[in-house]
This record gives sequence, structure tokens and C-alpha cells, in this order.
Amino acid sequence: MNSIVSLVRTRYSLESIRSSISESVNLINFNLDSSIKSVVIKPNLCYYWDAATGQTTDPQLVSGIIDFIREKCGKHVDIKVAEADASAMRTKYAFTVLGYKKLAREKNVELFNLSNDHLEEKIVMVGKHELKFQVPQLLLNCDLFINVPKLKVMRETKITCAMKNIFGCIGFPRKVIYHKYLDEAIVGINRLLRPHFTIVDGLIALGRFPVKLGLIMAGVDPFSVDWVASQILGYTPSKVRFLKIAMKDGIKNPEGIATRGASVAEFKKNLQKPKFTSSTYWQNAQSRLLKMYCKVVGDVVPPLLDEA
Amino acid sequence: MISVGVIGLGRMGMLHLMNCLKLDGVKVISVADSSKKALKKAKSVGVKNVYADYHDLLKNSSDIDTVVMSLPNFLHLEAIQLALEAGLDVFTEKPMANNVEECRKIVKLVEKSGRKFMVGHCMRFVDAVEKMKKALDKGSIGSLEVTTIEEITNGPFSYGRIPAPVSDWWFDPKKSGGGALIDIGYHMIDLFRFFAGDARVDFSRLDYKFNLPVEDGAIVMLSSSGSSAKGIINVGWYQKSTFPKYNFRVILHGNAGFLSSDDLVPRNLYFHALKEGSKNFLRRIVGKKIRPLSYTYYYESFYKELEHFFDCVSKDFDPLVSATDGLKTIEIIQEAYEKFRRECVN
Repeated sequence: MNSIVSLVRTRYSLESIRSSISESVNLINFNLDSSIKSVVIKPNLCYYWDAATGQTTDPQLVSGIIDFIREKCGKHVDIKVAEADASAMRTKYAFTVLGYKKLAREKNVELFNLSNDHLEEKIVMVGKHELKFQVPQLLLNCDLFINVPKLKVMRETKITCAMKNIFGCIGFPRKVIYHKYLDEAIVGINRLLRPHFTIVDGLIALGRFPVKLGLIMAGVDPFSVDWVASQILGYTPSKVRFLKIAMKDGIKNPEGIATRGASVAEFKKNLQKPKFTSSTYWQNAQSRLLKMYCKVVGDVVPPLLDEA
Repeated sequence: MISVGVIGLGRMGMLHLMNCLKLDGVKVISVADSSKKALKKAKSVGVKNVYADYHDLLKNSSDIDTVVMSLPNFLHLEAIQLALEAGLDVFTEKPMANNVEECRKIVKLVEKSGRKFMVGHCMRFVDAVEKMKKALDKGSIGSLEVTTIEEITNGPFSYGRIPAPVSDWWFDPKKSGGGALIDIGYHMIDLFRFFAGDARVDFSRLDYKFNLPVEDGAIVMLSSSGSSAKGIINVGWYQKSTFPKYNFRVILHGNAGFLSSDDLVPRNLYFHALKEGSKNFLRRIVGKKIRPLSYTYYYESFYKELEHFFDCVSKDFDPLVSATDGLKTIEIIQEAYEKFRRECVN
């Protein structure tokens, strides 16, 4: 497995983004040619918050990737930008709200809802967990599957980048059911779905706050990409649980991961790590206190009504 | 004892149901909602009759006096009409209806029925707003010149503790009546009317950052019809806001001083919640009625508006917010929509 991860600094202009995409893919020695006829690009559109919030993939980056593919594979290659519905997100609105509908019109590409695809049920064992996934066939049958995650932190998993974006491909919308064993689910789905390569949107990354980081990362192996991403986000990769599980799984090995281009330290210094330990603790404590308060006093507090 | 039916048990409806259960002299007899889970919850808190369709609740309304409605905007007119025709007093969530025509019909229906009717203009019942109104009426800041009122939130995109998709009707202008302006702007415009009286629209700009058929932001400037007071309304659905942060403020600029709602809310909401919660705990121990946690969870105003409405029903007063208030607010909103279309779209 190619474990090279490239880091390229870019400016926020389509021209600069285009050349940085090309540079980052060249650095990982990935070759594209005219034999490729169908391409699926999977951005991270987890909710309706746009790229400036650090939550979703920037359509400008996807636009640059489309240009890059057409340059390498020819103008007539079939390109689909795909996302699956999530527990609270519907792709039909996310594509509109986040500027992807406009992008599709301008670039003449198709927007595809993976939840409406033919879904094949597959079962994998991760540790003691038997996990069932609905896998969209489009991602298995296309010539080129490009994973385009956002570089960001997440309370539940510490980081969310290449491997977590593959979790977003699960066709079943109510993915919140996996949240009890989210780390295992991330590893499980990554066994079934393997993108040909990953280009990370670090133009605006999310640490404690959104930060204009101006980074484009690329790599063939999502595990290697996440290993480097967690360093940039200020975490020790071996302490990120889903990476640890992937290592235990035996299929992933951090040895041999090499970076090309800019250095990790150059980007790391600009990101402030959120204090999730205390915020998770605080949020859970608050929720427990509220529940206890409601039970003792007989009151009802609106945030808890959602759980009714 | 007022017997109540609660129609619609979404986020707002469930809150109204829970507040009804806390109010003295009020008994919830029936509820209606299409969600089985919501009906199960209502059963678990002691509601006798549950209906999957609100028409059935209204057909079997002989044992109730009043309905509290929290339905999608496009159902307001029909539901209000049926409830008034069934001889019930009605409290409805805002907006009163989607457009001026529907609102006028409601005003006529209310007049004809002689029933108590109130629209949920809950922001008038926010403690800070009440204090500001009292100070203004006492003349503390002289004559009101400019009022700035703003609220920027996630709108329908607010992310609940249990994630659920946003209902489609929000983005269909025929069903919702519009976007951020009719949703949040409705309250802000009502507040301007509360402070400065009737108004006309001087300026209106709508924003469509989300490329949806309804606006996600609006800035509207108003002039009071009865004084020199001007109003700046700034509302949006575009901000990723995190509980308990709440991006809402009112500033009243008078010629003798100013008042800001930011100065009237607790600095530390968590500490405030603890303090209020402890008071309720003590009230419970000594057998007194508990009060909603003021400010902290933004539901005190919802409690107070219902308390006021049921007071009016039992004591035969006119509610502070009438059907005409609902109509006038929608008239201003419609004027703002039309002004924007005239000046910016064509």
C-alpha cells in the first residue's frame, strides 16, 4: 500500500487550488489516464453548515478536482459528486444549501444521493462487534473513487478526516445507530469501501474554531492520511481510537507512512486543539444534572424533550 | 378547571404540553399528532385521549374548552377555523397564518366566534423585554428614537440532541409563507410594534445564501406610524449556534439614554440554571409550585404566554396579543417581501 501523504500549501483562489491539487496528487505518485471512464467524488456534507464553518467540504476544492480529472482523463469522463443522507441531513438540501447544485450546473457533473443507490447489505466483524452496512454499489463499480473529506476535529472520534468520510458513504440514513460503537463502524466500513485516493480539504480546517489553514493533503491510504491529519490537529495518532482499532485489526501499519511537500509542523502551529475531554465531561455532567433535576423536581427542560 | 387539547407535538408542541401540565387550573385531556412516539410520550404523562389526526380531536372535542396549536404554518388557518367553529378557545403558535388574506379571514372568524384567541408572540413575555417595556413606558430613556432588534440562529437547521431531518414544508414558500423573515422576523417585528406601535416598511433586503426558495436572512427597516421611532430588524438562519449561546438582542435608543437586553440576562447561564434549579428544589420541598428555569433554557416566556392565555380564559380578559396583532405583523412582513421583490428582483 502506498503510504505517502502529501501536504501542499494553497491560497484561496480556484487557480491556486487547481495547481495545488495537481501538485499534491503528483507527490503521491498517483497516475490518472484516459482509461478512466467513470469517477465518483465523495465530499463531506455532513450537515447544512458551509465550508467556512470548517464542517463541510468546500465546493471550490471539488471544482478544482473536476478540472484536474478532465485534464488527465479527458473531457467526456462521467463524473458524479456523491453523498448519502444522514440522520439529520438530506442530500437534496445539502447539495443546494452548500453550493453543490450550482457547481454541478457550472461543471456539468451529476449530483448523486448514495442512499438512493442499489444498496448491498454486508456484514463485517470488528473486534467483538458484528456490523451490518448498506454499501452503495456505485462506489464499488466506478473506475475512480475519490474521497474528499474535511480536516476537522470531532468530539466522539477526536478527528474526522479520510476514514470518517467513508463512514458517510453508508447508504442507510440513520447512521446515528452506529454511534455507540462509532470507532469500530469507521474501521468496518473502511474494510468494505476503499477509495482510490483521498484529497483532504484543509483550506479551512476546524480545530477549536474554524481556521484558514490553506492546506491540501493527498494520499492513497485513508489510514495514512488520518495518521498525518491527527498530528496536524494536535493529537497523537496512536491515541485516536479508530486508528488504534485499525492497527489492531492488523491491516494497517503506521510504519512506512511518509510525508511529502510541506511539513506537518507548519500547519499544526496554526490550529488550536479543543478541550473535548472537559467539554464532553461537562456536557454529560450537564445532561445528567438536568435529568436528575427533572426527576427530583418534576420539571421539564426543553433540550431533554428531544429524547422523549 | 380548563380542559385542554394540544394539537401538534413537535418540539414546540411538546414544550406547550409540558407547560400545560405545570399550570394550575389546566388539565390536558386530548392531544393529536402524527408521530406515534409523541403520542406515547403524551400517554405516559397522563393524557387520556390521543389522536393521530387533529380533525378527530376536534370532532371529539365535547370534553375540552381550549386548544393549544403548534402546527406547520400552512395548516394554521384550517385548524383555527375548525377549532373556533367547534366552540373552542384557541392559542396558536406564530405566525398566525402564511399571508395577509388568511390572517384577515382569521380575524373575522375570531370576531364572529366570540372565543378567546391568542397568537404565541412569546418574545413579549421574555423577562428582559418586559423590563425594557416597563422602563420605556416610565420614560426612563426619554422618547424612543431607534430600536435595533436581531436574532441570528440555525433556524430550522438547529441540531437537536437526537438528530432528525428538517421537515420539507420549511422550504416550500406556499407552505411556510417564507423563510427567516416570517419565522424569526415575525417575533422581531412584533417586538418593534410592542415598543413603538404600528409601523411601515422603509427598507427591505432578503438574503438567499443557501440557494433555497425561501430567504435565510433579512434586514428590514421600519418607521413607527405614530412617532419618530425607527427600527432595524436583522434576522438570519445562517449561524451555527451552539446551545446555550443565544444570539438575540434588543437595544432601545432613546434621547435620554438606552437599554440593552444583553445587560438584563445572566452572565453565566449555567450558574443561573443551578440557582434557579435549587429554588425549584426548595419550592418542591415546601410544597410550593415550581417555576420555569428563567432565561437558561429560553422556555420561561413560553410558560408565561400560556399562563397569561389561560388566565384570560378563566377570568374573561382579552389576551395581550390579539388576532389583529397577528394580522398587523403579517402585513408588515408581506410589505417587506413585496418591497424587496419590487426593488431588488424585478
